[in-house]
Amino acid sequence: MKKLIYSIVSEDSNQEKLNCILPEMKGIAGAKLISVSYKQISAVVSELEKSDYIVDQSNALEYAGVIEKLADQFTLLPMRYGSLLDSTESIMQLLERNYPEFRQNLLKVEHKCEFGLKIFGDLQKLKAELTFEFEPVIANSTIPSTEIKNPVYLEYLNKKLKEHRFEESLLAYIDSVIAELTVCLTRFNAVSKFRKMTTAALVTDAVFLLDESKKAQLIQAIEDIQDQYPSLNFILTGPWPPYSFVDVTLK
Amino acid sequence: MQDNVIDQSKDITILELLDRVLNKGVILTGDLVISVADIDLIYLGVKLMLSSVETMEQLKAGKSRKKEYEEADI
Amino acid sequence: MSENKILFCTGPIDEITEEIGKFNSKEESKLTLGPKNADSGLAKLVLTLVELIRKLVEKQAMRRVDGGTLTEDEIERLGETLMNLELKMEELKKYFNLTDRDLNINLGPLGDLM
Repeated sequence: MKKLIYSIVSEDSNQEKLNCILPEMKGIAGAKLISVSYKQISAVVSELEKSDYIVDQSNALEYAGVIEKLADQFTLLPMRYGSLLDSTESIMQLLERNYPEFRQNLLKVEHKCEFGLKIFGDLQKLKAELTFEFEPVIANSTIPSTEIKNPVYLEYLNKKLKEHRFEESLLAYIDSVIAELTVCLTRFNAVSKFRKMTTAALVTDAVFLLDESKKAQLIQAIEDIQDQYPSLNFILTGPWPPYSFVDVTLK
Repeated sequence: MQDNVIDQSKDITILELLDRVLNKGVILTGDLVISVADIDLIYLGVKLMLSSVETMEQLKAGKSRKKEYEEADI
Repeated sequence: MSENKILFCTGPIDEITEEIGKFNSKEESKLTLGPKNADSGLAKLVLTLVELIRKLVEKQAMRRVDGGTLTEDEIERLGETLMNLELKMEELKKYFNLTDRDLNINLGPLGDLM
């Protein structure tokens, strides 16, 4: 019998609330949810037989559903699916040893939600938009033809250089979108993380942490930025529990 | 046609959610298990190994120029 | 369970779904070495690494060429070497019957290798 932890919840003023809500919810495999508390934080836990722990879509979604429901009412830190401990004692130890870090993170995410922005680029369109004057590596006229060993090599190099310069200009282009977004996000007092070129088409993968009340303004701001970049496709999702902003190294 | 869009919106929501609950959030085990598929560690290693010779050349050039200025001042 | 979480989306939704799905499903492209596929699995692994290094070296070389500190002779030699490396790689791929797609193993959070 293992203990599955769903999230670390901040109890601050909601001591009783958690204990009222949990009985109305169910965990994986229909197990009941209980809280294990230490000072001002609680771990939301359910018992799980090893055989019931399956990493598949439906279980993962069910697990996420519990977190989602709790996030509506509480400030919490979501755990990754698969957070299993052996006993209530180990859970207490976890809470005790990492209390300051958990508290710090909970404070960081209080009243805030995560939003995800993925930006896709159509490479063909971008190639057209980012055309530049290409100067071959060595203009063939500057070297007397007797000195060039094999023009094929220069041709090859020129081709590679062109690709390289396109990549560089693409990266610069992405940097400008990110800079634009960053400026916009400071207005919302948001924390943001960016990843560039995760795949060939996924030009930017970003997550933002900001006040839940700013949602509508965020949407408008993103729309405005998208207008400036017609060759890119934006998809904004949220609000999510703060999965990407829990920076904890557990002891 | 409308249904298709709704289905795909649901798909994207599910994909995004799965990405978060399976790959993000607090993890209990901090150390990375290096399985054969985790070649990204080697990738990072290789990248770090490749020093930018270009930058070094430029730094060297910058250093010698500074020396020139210093000598000129005397 | 949860409602639709999409707040704003431009672009062809089916293509976007496909792209996002691509880097979520690591199962199909995971490299597994087992007794059954040791040979081809190993070739794939080795060639992926070689291709990775080749691409990194190529990238670094292009930066140097672009930097303008190489002599014409060095540039030509670089071109020759890089071209031969690429040709050799093509030979190896053909020999082991592997396509570019085969070698493009998803390496987790770093996304597509190249």
